[in-house]
Amino acid sequence: MRLFRKEGATIQIISFPGEDVEKGDYLKITDSTGKNLIVQVIDIEYANIPGILEELLRNHNNSLVQGEDVDPFEVANHIAFIQDAHLLICKIRAIDVQGELVHASSWLPSRTKARVKRLTVDQLLASDKNSFMTHLGATTRRKDIHIDVRALDGALNIITGKKGTGKSHVSKLLVLSLVSNGAPVVVLDLNGEYTGLNRDASGKPNSYQDKILVLTPGKNFKLTLNQLNIRVMLSILVNTLHLPGTSAREFKRIWHYLNERNALTLTNLGEAIRDWKCNQHVRDALFSRYYTLLHSGLLTDQAACTSLESELAKIQHGGGVIINLRDTSLTNRYIVVEYVLAKLIELLTKRRLRSIFLFAEEAHLYLRETYWNDIVTRMRHFGAFTTFVTNQPDTIRESIYRQADSLFLFNFTSSHDLETISRASKIDSETIKSVARDLPPHHCLVLGNVVNDFPVVAKIRELDVLAMGETRLFFSESQGSS
Amino acid sequence: MVNAQFPITTTPRYNFPLQVGNLQLPLHLIELSIQTLHKTHHQLEPTIPQQLSTIDDAALNTQLVRLKPNKQHITIFAIDVSSIRLGETSQGTLLAIRGAIVWKSKNSYQYVRLGPFPFHIPNHMKNDLHRLLNGSTYNAKAPTNLAPSTLYLQTRLTGILERWMQRSINEVTQNSIILWDGNMVAGTPDTPIKTMSKMLADARQQQNIILAFSKVTRLMLYNRKLTDLLLRQSPPCILMTQNYPQYENSIRNMGRINVAKLSKSSCTFRLDIDANLPQTEVIQAVQTLIGNDSIQNSYPETLRLAHIYSTFTAAEVLGLQRYISQESSLKMISRPNIRRILFGRFGKGPEG
Repeated sequence: MRLFRKEGATIQIISFPGEDVEKGDYLKITDSTGKNLIVQVIDIEYANIPGILEELLRNHNNSLVQGEDVDPFEVANHIAFIQDAHLLICKIRAIDVQGELVHASSWLPSRTKARVKRLTVDQLLASDKNSFMTHLGATTRRKDIHIDVRALDGALNIITGKKGTGKSHVSKLLVLSLVSNGAPVVVLDLNGEYTGLNRDASGKPNSYQDKILVLTPGKNFKLTLNQLNIRVMLSILVNTLHLPGTSAREFKRIWHYLNERNALTLTNLGEAIRDWKCNQHVRDALFSRYYTLLHSGLLTDQAACTSLESELAKIQHGGGVIINLRDTSLTNRYIVVEYVLAKLIELLTKRRLRSIFLFAEEAHLYLRETYWNDIVTRMRHFGAFTTFVTNQPDTIRESIYRQADSLFLFNFTSSHDLETISRASKIDSETIKSVARDLPPHHCLVLGNVVNDFPVVAKIRELDVLAMGETRLFFSESQGSS
Repeated sequence: MVNAQFPITTTPRYNFPLQVGNLQLPLHLIELSIQTLHKTHHQLEPTIPQQLSTIDDAALNTQLVRLKPNKQHITIFAIDVSSIRLGETSQGTLLAIRGAIVWKSKNSYQYVRLGPFPFHIPNHMKNDLHRLLNGSTYNAKAPTNLAPSTLYLQTRLTGILERWMQRSINEVTQNSIILWDGNMVAGTPDTPIKTMSKMLADARQQQNIILAFSKVTRLMLYNRKLTDLLLRQSPPCILMTQNYPQYENSIRNMGRINVAKLSKSSCTFRLDIDANLPQTEVIQAVQTLIGNDSIQNSYPETLRLAHIYSTFTAAEVLGLQRYISQESSLKMISRPNIRRILFGRFGKGPEG
């Protein structure tokens, strides 16, 4: 390989047949100064060899012109060697100055004397073997990639890619890695995909059996009015059920009235609304919301129902609470999420929770607008570290991408999606567009803190957990083969 | 000798019509190539050819002949050779030559390319190399008082391969039209009169007809460039000259000089045809050519392809440079452009 050209942060390198280089590979460019320029191949093109068009036109064998070469010196091999040269488009990632990585420098190696070698990913990523290192997968060259899960601590992460590329898979891997390392995790599981994390692929209980708790709203996850405080309840009524302000004020009075008498039950609430002296329109508004809540199946007067707080207490030293939102109506989804987030903030604020890792799948389907900034700013300071998982990158605001500490990017073919991500992510847009477009399934481009800001293409390893949330197909394999 | 030192053998047969497949590579050319690349010494030297000039128009007869395509099937062969300068070493110049034979039979074209043959021409060995060329090709001795230019040696090498290919095709084919790129001028160090006479005689014996197309000519007639005479004529036609002088100093034109305009275009070509052929046979041959080959811009497609397949692309030059750097001890150098140094932006034109 020979150093050819530099344009901005892009280095162009000529590579010849036999020099096996792939997109995503790292190269080390060394010269006699002892410094090393570390670059990453983001695209591979044909080298612009002069006369190549004439060569192709002339040697195009068709039915009209056919022939053969008598080449006693076998020069054709040398000509093919030149014609097959590749141009590696590389991005400068760092400069290694006597073992210390510098991410910004104007140093350039000698073009004539520089030597270019391939660099393995494990030479770049943190190599200290501590217990926080988790096996993420392998590079395209089948070298294991380990990441330090502590890089997720205090961080905002995004996992995105088009449908069926493996987003949920890497999300599950991160959840289990965090759980294994003693971290508490809450997953807002839209499709019930995480409910099998406590069982192995055959369906038998695995080592996470006692650490992964699945709460299904309306089934093993119901709330009493006592568990809800008035702030959460008003938030649900106003934001989710769109209760007008006047009615909300009356509801607040009713709530306090019942609370003072220690009579905060659904039955009492219904009766209180019925008997409360207020405008008929207000009463009607309160009744309609009351019945919505009543029929949601989420609320109960039975005191023995599951308490989120108690479940979170169980996972304080490592575990996951999966909020299974599958088969939950849109309204109930909003109610549950509103409650869970409010409860998390409450517990974090009161320091009854040290911190929590929150995984949100397709959050735009249940997360209220005002919560987005809340999650990435306020809740982060309280100790809620969120990972968003989505196949619609434009549902996440640009400002959130900008604050993301790590990004797990799977394949996107839509230039619109790639544009959205590339505009907002910390890394250069060419890398995003060029690498993400060609990622095969289950391969992702990992960016940010978890990879020491060295973008890495990884094939995510298999997980021995029960796969859930697979698309239920109409045509089965047996139907196809019969 | 060659095969003992280098793993080079000629492939005796190719998947082509028998007669072309039987061609044997000019081993002396391969040996010469290897010798030059590996500094073998020989001794000799050149003579400089002289050019034909304008002639007395009054003594000439010309006849314009309208042509009718004759579609009776015949195989058309075309031969062309290219050379290219690859670069410089501290001792001399590197160049390469390659030849192509293209033939059209029925509706398809086929080709065989010979080469490329790389050569190193050290400045101190030009005379030796020239002597070797003459000796190995024509068994003739050349004068020793003048070192030939590199360009001249390049032309000589090209000529050796081209004449060899022309002779070889002539030997293995019958009842064909053979197209040459160039003319039938003899009496030059490249082509002694004896050699050209024999080639034309062999062609007549094999019942082949050789048509030599020149893209450029310096010949004049009626105070005009020869090829301009047909510009306003409707194609296909041929302007046949008689009594065009065959001798000028030691140079002899062995062909009848004609001007051809074979299709609608602004291009006309000098067309040399064996002077010993009857005029009717000449006309018949050209009519058969335009009836069998595709003619674009008044030029036969077979000959165009021969040129295309022999010529070097820039990528091939790079490949040849790589071959030389890897297979020989020669190192290419970049000399400073003296013109550029002296005249800056005004320093145009070739190096030197």
